[in-house]
Amino acid sequence: MATIDIQIDDRHLKATPGATILDICRDNGIDIPTMCHLEGLSDVGACRLCLVEIEGVRKLQSSCTTKATPDMVIQTQTDRLKNYRRITTELFFAERNHFCAVCVANGNCELQDLGYKVGMDHVRYPYLSADCDLDATHPQMVMDHNRCILCTRCVRVCAEVEGAHNWDVMNRGFNARIISGFNTPWGESTDCTSCGKCMHACPTGAIWPKSATMGKLEKNPAMIGELVKKRRMDR
Amino acid sequence: MNRQEFLMLASTAKEKKDTFKHTICVCSGTGCASAGSEDVLQMMKADIRSRGLEMEVSVIPTGCTGLCTQGPLVQYMPANTIYQKVRVSEVQKINEAQLVSHQPIKAMLLFGDTRPEPFVNATDDPFFKKQLKIVLKDCGEMDPEDIEDYFAHDGYKALDKALFLMTPEDVIAEIKHSRLRGRGGAGYPTGLKWESVYKHVNDQKYVICNGDEGDPGAFMDRSILEGNPHRVLEGMAIAAYAIGANKGYAYIRGEYPLAIKRIELAIRQARRSGLLGTGILGTDFSFDVEVRIGAGAFVCGEETALIASIEGKRATPTARPPYPSEAGLWGKPTLINNVETLATIVPIIINGGGWYSEIGTPKSAGTKVFALAGKINHSGLIEVAMGTTLREIIYEIGGGIPGGKAFKAAQTGGPSGGCIPAEHLDVKIDYEALMNLGSIMGSGGLIVMDEDSDMVDVARFFMEFCMDESCGKCVPCRVGTKMMHDMLDKICKGNATQADLDRLVELAAYVQDTSLCGLGSSAPNPFMSTLRYFKKEYESKLHATSAIQAAHGND
Repeated sequence: MATIDIQIDDRHLKATPGATILDICRDNGIDIPTMCHLEGLSDVGACRLCLVEIEGVRKLQSSCTTKATPDMVIQTQTDRLKNYRRITTELFFAERNHFCAVCVANGNCELQDLGYKVGMDHVRYPYLSADCDLDATHPQMVMDHNRCILCTRCVRVCAEVEGAHNWDVMNRGFNARIISGFNTPWGESTDCTSCGKCMHACPTGAIWPKSATMGKLEKNPAMIGELVKKRRMDR
Repeated sequence: MNRQEFLMLASTAKEKKDTFKHTICVCSGTGCASAGSEDVLQMMKADIRSRGLEMEVSVIPTGCTGLCTQGPLVQYMPANTIYQKVRVSEVQKINEAQLVSHQPIKAMLLFGDTRPEPFVNATDDPFFKKQLKIVLKDCGEMDPEDIEDYFAHDGYKALDKALFLMTPEDVIAEIKHSRLRGRGGAGYPTGLKWESVYKHVNDQKYVICNGDEGDPGAFMDRSILEGNPHRVLEGMAIAAYAIGANKGYAYIRGEYPLAIKRIELAIRQARRSGLLGTGILGTDFSFDVEVRIGAGAFVCGEETALIASIEGKRATPTARPPYPSEAGLWGKPTLINNVETLATIVPIIINGGGWYSEIGTPKSAGTKVFALAGKINHSGLIEVAMGTTLREIIYEIGGGIPGGKAFKAAQTGGPSGGCIPAEHLDVKIDYEALMNLGSIMGSGGLIVMDEDSDMVDVARFFMEFCMDESCGKCVPCRVGTKMMHDMLDKICKGNATQADLDRLVELAAYVQDTSLCGLGSSAPNPFMSTLRYFKKEYESKLHATSAIQAAHGND
């Protein structure tokens, strides 16, 4: 198969045409943190953690949505990018209510892992503590908006993989909230199939099964990518 | 309707217009309408009828003449005499003076209350004299609800010329030659944009008119749509012919009911006349336009969000590339142009790209419409050649600052723009000059501030706007604008320290560099430009805090 030549962090690499910069980086062991990206789902470029510098492009580009083109020269680990990744992480923590010690996802949380990865020892910004609800109306699962980072992985997995489109986003800006079934309590939504994919796709402790106790939550987000791959093979 | 019939219709319309000795234009733009111009119009018609002059004098509602604070405005053509703040009870008196005794009533003329010698011919007034009206040329002199009046003003002649005398390539070359740049704010060369959509081969392409004007204090696009909707439609049709599209959408914000009504009426009239639809003027070119009404989100002015909105989705921007020229509406190549850009196409096609490119400055050709507002004597809608200085706009056209107060700053580009301080009053306005000063041309909002304005408060106001209008998709804009607003609020309230300001500066660079779309990446601009020119105002608020803290010994 034809390949293209690109350069990432001063390494000369061969890449498949049409592959995103993030795919190429992951194939070659270059670590770029992400939150809204999940293998198997469409990419939206919302978390801005995977931004990279591309020579000749004025703006920073999200590597999950940008396809590599021949002879692209990319930097993924500059001081500026690292600083911005840390600020983004801090803003995630400052926006709502992320206290690991009392969270069901403690020890099994992508946001917590991100904090360690970018070296966030404390949050330099004032906590905004958005006023959020908790929806425990579903018989098996709970949606705690306080821990939601609006990555929309639940929205996409429900629409794109399960095909139910129970989840969506309501309001805008700081007041944006994930909603279930046109803003009805989750337990009353007629769209939800209770498949639990949203729970596995959720990177934090926002969606969790009622069976899980504190710090004992087990999620398997990679399952989503595997599922999508198997379906493609069946076709 | 074939070409022959169209040309016949156009010349009949012109002849009909020429039979009138006078035309009385009653401004029916939103500004004048809210001041009661509809009643004035009805009274005017009744008075002309009672004088038995209806064969000599035509009375028409028109679009905006420009001086929204002086409305309702009544303009007598061809004398160009304008009366201001006309009341129903004054109509008879004015008609008597204009049509019978031929002695204009000076005190009631435009600026009759403020100028010692108001101008009988309004074109001599500095407000109009310094302007160059290309986009707004027919706005105040034509009935926007009557396609025949548009025909009488050479309407659809540019489309006729493009269809019969030019290939799509010729049209694009002409637009490139004109050096026209997008009037929505970013200033991307229009010809290049058209060419890139043209080059993407696809049997389905779209043209979108972006009429989601959302900057606070801006009303250029509204006035164009209200005053000359056919001109915008004609521009869309020419664009569609050039790029190979057969379907267009006019996306108008819901807060503009009159603009929506008039563009919808114009579309129906154009369809009936065979100027929209299949086989336009007997050619094999087909094009039709539908209106889509925005629901009040500022972010819909961003082109990818606007496209999502037309598709019926939540209006959130998407990462580019792919650009709309490659994969836009429903994944098809799409051209999005702002209202003012599209309204500029017709004169360029008629007069040639060379004619247009000679107006303005070396890098920014043509004219720009501005909505002049704030602490200024003549609030309103103006159009000036690029390269006009800010001083000319504010002191000659705008008539200076009320109460003889000192000019402090002009805010351009709305929440994405910045402030220009007094030391740069002589800047010749064009895209680059404003950028160099840390502001942007933007869509054309120009808000004047006097010595009493608190610049930190101005920054807080615009940040609050961006915070409220952020769609919430990306983190820097959703959380960053909220954080920045809270910090600015803290400074305004005198509770901030130098450390807070430093953090704010760091956050501003972050939000600018990392946001997904233009809303977020330009949101820090008002803060950064006020900090650049009015740092002392920020510092004075900080010092106060330090003093309090020192007094309490808790620093």
